[in-house]
Amino acid sequence: MARTIQILADSVANQIAAGEVVERPASVVKELVENALDARATRVEVAVDQGGRRRIRVSDDGTGMGREDALLSLDRHATSKIRTAEELRGVRSFGFRGEALPSIASVSRFTLETCARGEEVGTRIRVRGGTVLAVEDCARTPGTTVEVESLFLNAPARRKFLRSSAVETRAISEVLAPLSLAHPRVDLVLRSGERSLLEVPGTGDLVARVRALWGDEGADGLIPVEHDGEVAAVRGLVQRPDRARPGFRRVQLLVDGRPFRDAGILAAADRGYRTTIPQGTRPWIILFLEVPGGTADVNVHPTKAEVRFRVRGTVEADVEEAVRRALEREESAATLGSAPATGAMQARESAGPARRPSAGKGTESEGAGEAQIVLFGTVGATEPAPGPAEEEKGRGGASHEIDPGVADLLDGARGPRLWQVHRAWILAEVRSGLLLIDQHAAHERILFERIMERFDAGGEGGQRLLFPLTLRLTVPEVEMVQSLAGLLHRAGFEAEPFGGDTVILHSVPNPHPYFDAERAFREMIDELTHGSDLVRSARNQHERLAMSFACKAAIKAGQALDDQEIQELFDQLFATRLPWHDVHGRPTTVRLSLGELERKFGR
Amino acid sequence: MNFTITRQNLQKGLAAVSATIPGKTTLPVLSNILFEADADGIRMSATDLDVGVRIRVPADVKEAGSLTAPGKKIQEIARELPDQPVQLNSRGDQVEIRCGKSHFKLNGLPADDFPELPQVGFEGGWTAEGRDLLSLIRHTSFAVSTEESRPVLNGVLWELRDGEMRMVATNGHRLARMRIPAGPSMQTTTQLIVPPDALQQVQRLFAEDAEVSVARDGNQLGFSSGGTEVYTRLIEGTYPNYEQVIPKDNDKHAFVNRKALESAVKRVAAVASDQTHRIRMEFSQDRMVFNVLTPDLGEAHDEIEVGYDGDPISIGFNANYLLEVLRYVGTDEVKMSFKAPERAATVEPMGGEDDQVPDYLCLVMPLRLAD
Ligand SMILES: Nc1ncnc2c1ncn2[C@@H]1O[C@H](COP(=O)(O)OP(=O)(O)OP(=O)(O)O)[C@@H](O)[C@H]1O
Ligand SMILES: [Mg+2]
Repeated sequence: MARTIQILADSVANQIAAGEVVERPASVVKELVENALDARATRVEVAVDQGGRRRIRVSDDGTGMGREDALLSLDRHATSKIRTAEELRGVRSFGFRGEALPSIASVSRFTLETCARGEEVGTRIRVRGGTVLAVEDCARTPGTTVEVESLFLNAPARRKFLRSSAVETRAISEVLAPLSLAHPRVDLVLRSGERSLLEVPGTGDLVARVRALWGDEGADGLIPVEHDGEVAAVRGLVQRPDRARPGFRRVQLLVDGRPFRDAGILAAADRGYRTTIPQGTRPWIILFLEVPGGTADVNVHPTKAEVRFRVRGTVEADVEEAVRRALEREESAATLGSAPATGAMQARESAGPARRPSAGKGTESEGAGEAQIVLFGTVGATEPAPGPAEEEKGRGGASHEIDPGVADLLDGARGPRLWQVHRAWILAEVRSGLLLIDQHAAHERILFERIMERFDAGGEGGQRLLFPLTLRLTVPEVEMVQSLAGLLHRAGFEAEPFGGDTVILHSVPNPHPYFDAERAFREMIDELTHGSDLVRSARNQHERLAMSFACKAAIKAGQALDDQEIQELFDQLFATRLPWHDVHGRPTTVRLSLGELERKFGR
Repeated sequence: MNFTITRQNLQKGLAAVSATIPGKTTLPVLSNILFEADADGIRMSATDLDVGVRIRVPADVKEAGSLTAPGKKIQEIARELPDQPVQLNSRGDQVEIRCGKSHFKLNGLPADDFPELPQVGFEGGWTAEGRDLLSLIRHTSFAVSTEESRPVLNGVLWELRDGEMRMVATNGHRLARMRIPAGPSMQTTTQLIVPPDALQQVQRLFAEDAEVSVARDGNQLGFSSGGTEVYTRLIEGTYPNYEQVIPKDNDKHAFVNRKALESAVKRVAAVASDQTHRIRMEFSQDRMVFNVLTPDLGEAHDEIEVGYDGDPISIGFNANYLLEVLRYVGTDEVKMSFKAPERAATVEPMGGEDDQVPDYLCLVMPLRLAD
């Protein structure tokens, strides 16, 4: 096999963010599995003993190496993945430093067995503490196996910091999760001693992968994200608001197929949830970003855990918008049944990283134009690359349909049949089954969006009162009224401080015929003065007032509504941006699908 | 209990009382009609506990007694009975209905379960012309409030004083007031706040030419005429001083053709916000200009000719309030009066030279114009 690995020129090598590659067994596993994935493996098996302290073994069925490459791979700055500093920009393989193998080999007893496709014999190289002991022929199928024993045998200081086997083993499975999400078509197996810890088949089904990694409970509440933003195409899965909980959550961000950590991007995704979840709730977020070549600089962190974006603000805005759009859709609504209607989500690899035109030949633009992962196959113009992806189409090509809007809820032009039940809920017959709408929550969402719009448009005129309302408030409340006078005015309240603890309301908004202006105003001022979870979740004063107003002014449970009012409420709700979620982060609507009904009746 | 009644009389009685039967109730006996038979005929009663209706209809009573029977069922049956005498008799808690070849048995409930309608002595009351009463009710009751926070505004204020009967209703956004001379016999001075549901029954059950006796007993008010009685609980509390808020110094007057105004308001209101229904009106020399601008929806501009020579004024209103008021101010021409954009406007009927124009005034509070 022709040599593909080259030693990077010093000028290039010096530009690479280098550092301690091998910190603990998990970092060895990470590097070796990355290499296997870069080598286009379809199956990767990891076996560890004693948390990897005694032994780590990673085998793949990837491209393998010829003898010359195998020897070169152990040299520092020897890589087949880039050649020049330019190629660093938009690099799609995990590796690019040529650091991992030599670093690992220098602190362990290291055996590399590899055989390139089409070669008769393979090569075995044995290294101890960085010194090559033997290079010999071996018989094996195409692919590569790296075995690392006695890690840190010559670095007692490091060895001392290793934790118990259980802790190290857990760290190993943690590093595998993001890699397995990045390559959902690869079979991945992790064994510790005799035990199998992880076995995920490479079906390309992202939800199935999440389920295998993190269990049913989280996977059941995930909805698809799909948005082509200004710079970033954002795909992935986020948790349905009604399923999100405070406390621990799973988060995975990937850019161009590369897992990374980024508080700013994550915060942007969380912003997308604003008003749909209670404060302190932490939804699961798994997002795949694709950005044009050169937008993301991966060469900033020694273990590649971070990425620098050239247009961070825009990427964050794209992510926020992507999440928000996912929450606009029917799938994001709460359901009565346990299994949400997340369709089969298929990830399809078009071109694995190592399949890019081999380093040196491919121009940068070609490299950048390839999307590593296409979720939801039918969407987007990216053509699947020939090869494995073509074969996959047959078994996993089911596309995921995303409802284009609320019109789709209904059959034809006819409005849905609506009933009010127990003066609190509205029952709607829609194409997919039944919707149960909380009339108060729904009206909150309507009022919130309406008043926010009015704030932008300069405010709302209030209804002048024949008998102005004289209200006794507490001193802090009167101060709150005074400090909010301008905004209150724009919300339709004309409040005049009348000395001491008295405020006179001369005009009030009139959001619906059953509106109790005095009570709503009192409750709102009380909430704004003394705080509540709701108003603490607001981003600014406008939002705070709008949320509080929406909550206090909305039609209450217990209010009988006539047919026309029910219809208006329904229409107005589905004219809002986030009809499925109220401003407290509760659902406005619970769905009961026909499928669920049929299941319940054993049909 | 056993009596025979003409189908017409039975239906008349049922029609009178059945509108009071509550649609949903936790007290099953309220779904029933109380039949009481005595020497003078029968009495039928129904109530929803707030309002009660009782009517006396002629019948040939063989055996006195009383029973309650399901109102809706009896009505359904009576509607389709042949035009022949109907016989009703009780057997325990059941009522048997026979008419020609038709024969029914319905389960009833003992009369003792039925709530007693208030005892109001009409001797101590006063009388009112049906015509006057109906006109007062029609012109004012639409304006009551549906808000729960100020219960007094949920009723119509009925005042008797200075030889006048007045009714006033308001929800704090608009107000309607009508006054009618009460005639020399009226000695009473009183102030009552009457639930509109009861007034609706009065409107339905009493004719223009009826002489209606009215009397109050504590918290209860009764209306009676020609064997039909309506009882209601009164709303307690003090009605706000409405005289004080009716402007006396509105100095800008517009004389407007009602039909033209109505249709202009309807046209422009089509593009008004469905929340506030706000329209803007501008008056200048003999012109009235409408402007509506609703973000996301569009805008409207319209104009009609009016008689106006005051200073120009621009004022916003909830179109629904205006339309409602115009519907009740029945004359071809109406007078609108203003003082300032944030002050109450009034609308009054205008008559020709010798028309009888009612003493009627509607007041509409403006919508503040956001600028
Ligand atoms: N499992 C494998 N199958 C095929 N080739 C491999 C495998 N592992 C390593 N190689 C080859 O060895 C080279 C060196 O690997 P190494 O991990 O040291 O560096 P790298 O992956 O290029 O960069 P980095 O240090 O960033 O990981 C790779 O560039 C690749 O050509
Ligand atoms: Mg590598």
